Amino acid sequence: MNEPTIVSFLCNWCSYEGADKAGNARLEYPANIRPIRVMCSGRVDTELVLQAFREGASGVLILGCHPGDCHYKKGNYKTRRRMLLLRKALAQFGVEPERVKVDWVAAGEGERFAKVANEMAETIRELGPLRLPLSG
Amino acid sequence: MAERIGVFVCKCGPNIGDRIDVDSVVAEAEGIEDVVTAKSHNLLCSEDGIRFLQEEIRKGGLTRVVIAACTPKQYEQKFMRACEGVGLNPYLLQMTNIREQCAWVTPDPAQATAKAKSLVRAATMRATLQEPIEKKEIEIHPDVLVVGSGVAGLEATLTLAQKGRKVYLLEKSPCIGGLGARFEEVYQTMECAPCMLAPELQEVLQKENIEAITYGELEGVVGSYGNFTVKIRRKARYVSEEACIGCSACFEPCPVEVSNEFDEGLSKRKAIYIPFAGALPNVPVIDEANCIKLKGGECNACQEACPFDAIDFDDQDRIEEKRVGAIILATGSTQFNPSSLAQYGYGRFDNVLTGLELERLNASNGPTGGKILLKDGREPRSVAFVYCVGRKEKGHCSGICCMYSVKLAHLLKEKIPGVEVYSFYTDLCLPKKEHQRLYEEVVEKGVEFIRSNGSERVSRDGKGLVVEYKADSTSKSLAVDMVVLAPAIEPNPDTAKLAAILDIPLDERGFFSEEHPLMKSFGTPLEGVFIAGCCQGPKDIGDAVAQGGAAAGRILSRLIPGEKLELEPIVAVIDEEICGGCNTCISICPYSAISRDEEKKVAVVDDTLCRGCGTCVAACPTGAARAKHFTNEEIFAEIREVVR
Repeated sequence: MNEPTIVSFLCNWCSYEGADKAGNARLEYPANIRPIRVMCSGRVDTELVLQAFREGASGVLILGCHPGDCHYKKGNYKTRRRMLLLRKALAQFGVEPERVKVDWVAAGEGERFAKVANEMAETIRELGPLRLPLSG
Repeated sequence: MAERIGVFVCKCGPNIGDRIDVDSVVAEAEGIEDVVTAKSHNLLCSEDGIRFLQEEIRKGGLTRVVIAACTPKQYEQKFMRACEGVGLNPYLLQMTNIREQCAWVTPDPAQATAKAKSLVRAATMRATLQEPIEKKEIEIHPDVLVVGSGVAGLEATLTLAQKGRKVYLLEKSPCIGGLGARFEEVYQTMECAPCMLAPELQEVLQKENIEAITYGELEGVVGSYGNFTVKIRRKARYVSEEACIGCSACFEPCPVEVSNEFDEGLSKRKAIYIPFAGALPNVPVIDEANCIKLKGGECNACQEACPFDAIDFDDQDRIEEKRVGAIILATGSTQFNPSSLAQYGYGRFDNVLTGLELERLNASNGPTGGKILLKDGREPRSVAFVYCVGRKEKGHCSGICCMYSVKLAHLLKEKIPGVEVYSFYTDLCLPKKEHQRLYEEVVEKGVEFIRSNGSERVSRDGKGLVVEYKADSTSKSLAVDMVVLAPAIEPNPDTAKLAAILDIPLDERGFFSEEHPLMKSFGTPLEGVFIAGCCQGPKDIGDAVAQGGAAAGRILSRLIPGEKLELEPIVAVIDEEICGGCNTCISICPYSAISRDEEKKVAVVDDTLCRGCGTCVAACPTGAARAKHFTNEEIFAEIREVVR
C-alpha cells in the first residue's frame, strides 16, 4: 500500500451507516481508511488508539453520532473528552495530536463521511508515516 | 483445539466481483491459520447462497464463519439465522463489509483488493477469538402500571385491558379523567369533552382486569423490565369506597368552605367533597388539611349525615406493593403561572384570567353555570386574548394555546352577541389538517388578530382594563373588559419526583426525556418504562391518545404472558477477580445498569438493563469490564490486520 494506514473506529448506529451511505452514493475516499465497527464511540478507549499506533497506524479516526444524538445518550461526549486528553499526552511524546481525530457523522451523512475521511487522509499524508519515538 | 474457519467472499454479482479481484482475496484467506475452507459465491444472500453456506458449514464442520460481502446492516441477521439453522452459534459469525466500505468507494481495483484482503484477515483473526453467546431470556410479569388517568393514560389502560392485561391505573387526584374533564368543548370538533370521556371512564371502572387506584401516589420502584415491584401509597380518603353510594348527603352539613381546585379556585367546595358532580368514582374524599375533625377540632357533621356509615375518621394511608412488567407514565403537565410576569397584571387585576379559568367560566358545571361573566356579574363587552404568555421564559411553543384561544374566542362570539374579541399574538400555530378552519371562521365573525409580538402590557383604568401594545412599529392601546392569557405549558411538579423514583432523565425543560424524539417519543432510556401525553411535552388530546396507544402497543408486542423476554445478548460483564471497586463504571453507565455488590466490593452488571454500548469497558481502569462480542482482544486483532 502506498499510503500510511488510518484506523477508523465507526459507531454502529450513526457513523458506520454514514460510511455505508458514502458507498451507496459511490463517493470516493482513499483505501487507507480502514473501518472497525464498535457499538458506540464511547467504547473507544485510549488503549485501542495506542494499540493502533503500536501496530503501525499513522492516524486514528473516531467517528460517532452527533452531540445529542448518541444512541447510548452520551458515549460520544465521553470519547471526545478522553481523546482531548490523549492528544495532549501524545503531543508531549512528540506525536502530532492531529493523528487522532474525533468527529461526528450521522447515519444519513454519506457526503460528510467521505469529506471527513478525505480530510483525515490529507492530514496524515502531510504528516507522513508515524515513527513512534518510543517504539522498540 | 484448533478452530475450523470458513471464509466466504460474496461477489454480489458485479458489485464486488467487477471491482475486487475476488479470487485473490479467497487465496489470501486460504493462507490464514485455521482456515479450512475459503470460497467465493456469486450472491450469498440468495436462497442458493444460504443453502451453499449451510452446506459448507455442515460439510466442513466449521466452528467459525467469516462472510465478506455487503454491509452487515443488510443481511447479518439472515446469515446469523443461517448459522443457527445448522447448529452454529450465530455470534461465531463475523461479517466484513467489502462492498459499501470498500468496492464502492475505492476506484482503483488493486487498492480495493488490497483493502478487501486486509478486512478479510481482520475479520478472520477476530472470528477466532469470538465466543458463543447464548440468548438470555427471563420470566416476566405481564401486568402493567399506568400512572395518570388523563386521555393518554386512559387510552393505554384500555388498549392493554382489551387484550386481557391486568392494569393498575394509578391516579393522584380523587377522580379519574385528568384535565380533559374540565373542558366543556374541545378544539376543533367543539365536542363536549366530558361526553367524549364518559364511556372510557365507565369502561375503566367496570372492566374486571383494571384496578383504578385513585387518590394514590407512586412511592417507589425496584426491579427492571418484566419484573418491577412498585410501591403505591393509597392516601386516606376517610370515606369507605365500599360503603359509600355517592348520595352527597355529607356535603351540605360540612361547615368548611375552601376554594375549589377543579374550578381553578373560582368556586368553593367543602372539606368533604367530590371534585365535580359526576366525577368517577363517585366517592367523596375528606381534605385533611381543612377538615375540622381531622385537624383535632370538634365536628362530626358529615358522619352524622351519612346514611351508610361510610365516613371513617380513623382511615389511614396504606402502602401496597404490586408486581408489574412495565410502567407507563402519563402524568400530564401544568400551566405556567403568569403572575410572575408583572406586565400582564395577572393576580393583581380583576378580570385578567388564564385560558383555563375561562374554560371553567364557560363550563355548564362551572362556577357560573356556563355564563361568561366579569367579577361584578356583568357580561364582558370586549375581551382581549394574549397569546404566548411565558413562551420566551420557558423557551418552547406549547402548541395548544393557539387552538384553545381560537376556540374560546369562538365560544365568546357564540355566547355573547356583539362581544368584541381581540387576539394579540406573536406567531399562530395551527398545524393540523382541520385546525385552520375554526380560525378562518372566527376571523369571519370579526375576531381581530393583532400581531403585537409580545409587547402587550395590561393596566387598570377605572373598572376596565387597558392593553397597551406595539403593532406595525406604533404604540397603541385598547380598552377591554376582560383579558385572557394563554400561558405556556410546563411540567407538573410530580415529574421530577417520579424521574428520581424511576431513575429516568428529564429534558432541559423538565419534561420526561424520551428515548428518541421522533422514532420513540413514548419510550424512555429505561427499558420497560414508557411515557405518554403532556408529561413528555406539550401536546393536544389527539397526540396524547396516540402516544398512550403506542406505549401500550409496545408492551403488548414484547411483554407477552407465558413468553419469556429476550434480552440484549451483547452486554458488558465485569470480572470480579479484577474489579477494584472504584465505581467509575457505575457513575458513567447511561442506563444505571451497573450496581455495587457491597459484600464483595465489586461492580455488577444487570443484564436486563445493559444495552452493550461498552462505555464502562473503555472507562474501566483495571480492565475488569469486558464487552461481549467487542472485547479488547477482538478489536486488537482487527487493528493488527487492518494495519498490516
